[in-house]
Amino acid sequence: MSEKLQQIINNQQGDPATEHLEDVVQLVGFIVGNEEYSIPILSIQEIIKPIECTRVPQTPPYVLGVFNLRGSVIPLIDLRLKFGLPAQKDSDDTRFIVMRHEDDVAGFVIDRLTEAIRLNQRDIGPAPETELQDESIIEGVGKQNDRILTILKVNKLLERDF
Amino acid sequence: MDEFQEILQDFLIESFELLEQLDQDLVELESTPEDLELLNRIFRVAHTVKGASSFLNFDVLTHLTHHMEDVLNKARHGELILDADIMDVVLESIDLMKSLLVTIRDTGVDQGIDVAECVVKLDKVSGGDGEVESPEVVEAAPEPVAEVAPEPEAEEEEIDYASLSDDDIEAEIARLLDGKQAEDKARREAKIAAGESVPGLPDQEPATPEPEAAPESKPEPTPEPTPAPAPVAAAPVAPTPPKKEEKAASNAAPAKRAATAVEQTIRVDVKRLDHLMNLIGELVLGKNRLIKINDDVEERYEGEEFLEELNQVVSIVSLVTTDLQIAVMKTRMLPIGKVFNKFPRMIRDLSRELNKKIELEISGEETELDKSIVEEIGDPLVHIIRNSCDHGVETPDIRTAGGKPETGIIGLKAYNEGNHIVIQITDDGKGLDADMLRSKSIEKGLITEKEADAMSDKEAFGLIFKPGFSTAAQVTNVSGRGVGMDVVKTNIEKLNGIIDIESEIGKGTTMKLKIPLTLAIIQALLVGVQEEYYAIPLASVLETVRISTDEIYSVENRSVMRLREEVLSLVHIGDIFEVERVFDGNEHTYVVVIGLAESKIGLIVDSLVGQEEIVIKSLGEYLKGIEGIAGATIRGDGGVTLIVDVAALMQMAKSVKSTVVQESASAALEATQKTQPSDYKVMVVDDSKTDRTIIRTSLAPLGITLVEAVDGQEALNVLKQGDHNFDAMLIDIEMPRMDGYSLATEIKKYNKYKNLPLIAVTSRSGKSDRMRGVEAGMVEYITKPYSPDYLLNVVKRNIKFAL
Repeated sequence: MSEKLQQIINNQQGDPATEHLEDVVQLVGFIVGNEEYSIPILSIQEIIKPIECTRVPQTPPYVLGVFNLRGSVIPLIDLRLKFGLPAQKDSDDTRFIVMRHEDDVAGFVIDRLTEAIRLNQRDIGPAPETELQDESIIEGVGKQNDRILTILKVNKLLERDF
Repeated sequence: MDEFQEILQDFLIESFELLEQLDQDLVELESTPEDLELLNRIFRVAHTVKGASSFLNFDVLTHLTHHMEDVLNKARHGELILDADIMDVVLESIDLMKSLLVTIRDTGVDQGIDVAECVVKLDKVSGGDGEVESPEVVEAAPEPVAEVAPEPEAEEEEIDYASLSDDDIEAEIARLLDGKQAEDKARREAKIAAGESVPGLPDQEPATPEPEAAPESKPEPTPEPTPAPAPVAAAPVAPTPPKKEEKAASNAAPAKRAATAVEQTIRVDVKRLDHLMNLIGELVLGKNRLIKINDDVEERYEGEEFLEELNQVVSIVSLVTTDLQIAVMKTRMLPIGKVFNKFPRMIRDLSRELNKKIELEISGEETELDKSIVEEIGDPLVHIIRNSCDHGVETPDIRTAGGKPETGIIGLKAYNEGNHIVIQITDDGKGLDADMLRSKSIEKGLITEKEADAMSDKEAFGLIFKPGFSTAAQVTNVSGRGVGMDVVKTNIEKLNGIIDIESEIGKGTTMKLKIPLTLAIIQALLVGVQEEYYAIPLASVLETVRISTDEIYSVENRSVMRLREEVLSLVHIGDIFEVERVFDGNEHTYVVVIGLAESKIGLIVDSLVGQEEIVIKSLGEYLKGIEGIAGATIRGDGGVTLIVDVAALMQMAKSVKSTVVQESASAALEATQKTQPSDYKVMVVDDSKTDRTIIRTSLAPLGITLVEAVDGQEALNVLKQGDHNFDAMLIDIEMPRMDGYSLATEIKKYNKYKNLPLIAVTSRSGKSDRMRGVEAGMVEYITKPYSPDYLLNVVKRNIKFAL
């Protein structure tokens, strides 16, 4: 706790031009398959452990169905299948990330969470050019130390594409 | 500006409310032109709208209503008899008034509608017996008053008096007001005199003059100060008179209807009610859950004392929840009379247009329905009634020739039937000719001849709902485009309603619309298919039958069954929803007969779970519009169950091929080659750690793989996941959550575990225990204690250990 406080104090004392609140993006990182992805922390409604879901007919395989989140019926999407990876059994690390963009809500199955990340805006580059900007599911690519983070577009993830 | 908006809103709401009553009153008036009370009520509406609209600067509307008022006023004083022709003009003007109000609501101004023609007609009517000039002049007086009052605030054109100087106007106003007041006084006296002299209504005596006097006299003093002082003051002062007047008017209306009952009402935003309904929905879910938990607890702690208390609490909570739900549902209920009200007028217009004599008999208009349904039901009814007028009821000469009274009767009746409301539309017209319908449909290419032959008369009646179908030889103003009845069908389907037609040639047609009372919380039948459950709205369920599989016949690649006199086409719910077949087909199966609008179909399901009250939840934006699914609900156990969209399901059923009879062959186990002892897998199910260890030690010499589970439930989950292919299972009988017998029964339901050897390992050694084990599908029965060798041999034999 005191570390966190110290960090906050440090941040506040730091150069306001570069460490200004608007320039810092807070992300949550997670693993699907072998890659690490991340989404803005503000688009996450909550993260829960896997619970039972009900299959919905006439949907693509990556739509696992719907589940009950305290009285709301929410669709569940398996990111492994969506990204073209083979299905995998739930493990102890498997989580559902419930994402929200405006009124759209859905749960996404991920292999495991990594960490919350603070990233400076200038460390985020555009998505690879091979992707059409509008169609792309990728918001940008973040660089932190020596690792590369793919930042996903939550509104694209929540968009129905079947 | 805000204040103005608020006043405008009030004005619109009140006006539309008044208008609703107006139509009915007017048609009633035509049959009883002497009804003074009725006339007064109508006059007040015109007057109220005029007063308020002039204040709000709606000049066109004021202009129109003013002239309307003239005609009505004359009628009120007996100077004019409202015959059918005059009525046409009055009705036309009221229609104009309506469209003006709609325009105001939509655009905020009353421009764009030409009232001049109608005004001329009105003038002609009111001036027709020009004898009485004096009231005409004095009656005209309020117009300038009303129009001058708001004038300084807004544009000055369109008003004749605009050219006058201020002083002139004031003088003019003063003069007119004096005249008006004198006139009013005279009128009031005349009214009181008239009220007393009407012998038919002695009870109304005190009521009649009072509300009359109030609205007439009250508005008078207020306009006086308005023109003189600062124009700004006009706004806050003036809104009061119309309001008071309206209150008086609306009080007067119920006074006649329900004697003395004073209704106390408040206006509530529908959004708030919707929110309340949502909350109740959550509560119902909670209640369902509580009941489920209570059942579980009851099972586990049978005979415990605290159970009784828990039971009481649960039943009180569930009782109160149900009452609360009903109470909130009731707040959303509107009498269907709100919809019925517009039909007398419609019938009147139609009968004049078609040169037929038609009378409308309405009953049960007090029957209540959810607001959202009341809104949806109007259109279908309009179409059905238009149809009855145009195609049903014959012209007077044909009727007399057929020995029927000249006047045709269309009956509109609403009544409750269980959780439904039934709206019945009858006519005594020529009836539907099933053969004619068949040949017409073939002619139009809607059905084939073969289909036509197979059709019962009732099914043939259903043809009128096909888009593009019309029996009319030519398209008239009223009908014949073949669209209307299709609209009826779609709308009724949307409401999960059922349409039933009965008809006899020459006698008439009866159409019954059966509609659920509410849409948000419904009764549903829960059915099971393999491992999945679906909820079917009970409103659409006609009956359920249990049949043996050999009662299902295949006709042209479609499954059908004989149900009493009818041939019912069948479809397996699993085929529609692409359910994976993991269980074996049963010798017996259940058929849920579902009906919607005019068609029915049999839905084959594996099991019937029961009836439950469910709250409809949407699947959200992402999964919106999945074919065949109307939404989802949350069950007592917290799981989600999908709700079947009956209308879509019926559509889908047409294109689904029958697979009911064929057995699934997917269950074939791929026989993997076993090369080493550890390729053999055995599951040990026992809640005692010691026992599991003993088994493990006993079987250790074999070197086979063992998977452990602590109770039946866990064992079943392991099996369902399908990670392992087991060669045998060792099962304890006494276990928490799910005992060995139930586990064995569950396992045997799966096709692919049909041949999996189940070995009971238990200390229960009674004969009956053994019998139960065999019944549940156990192949061996080992009683504790046992020797390690014995266990090892039994397992070895059962897994066909060959290494």
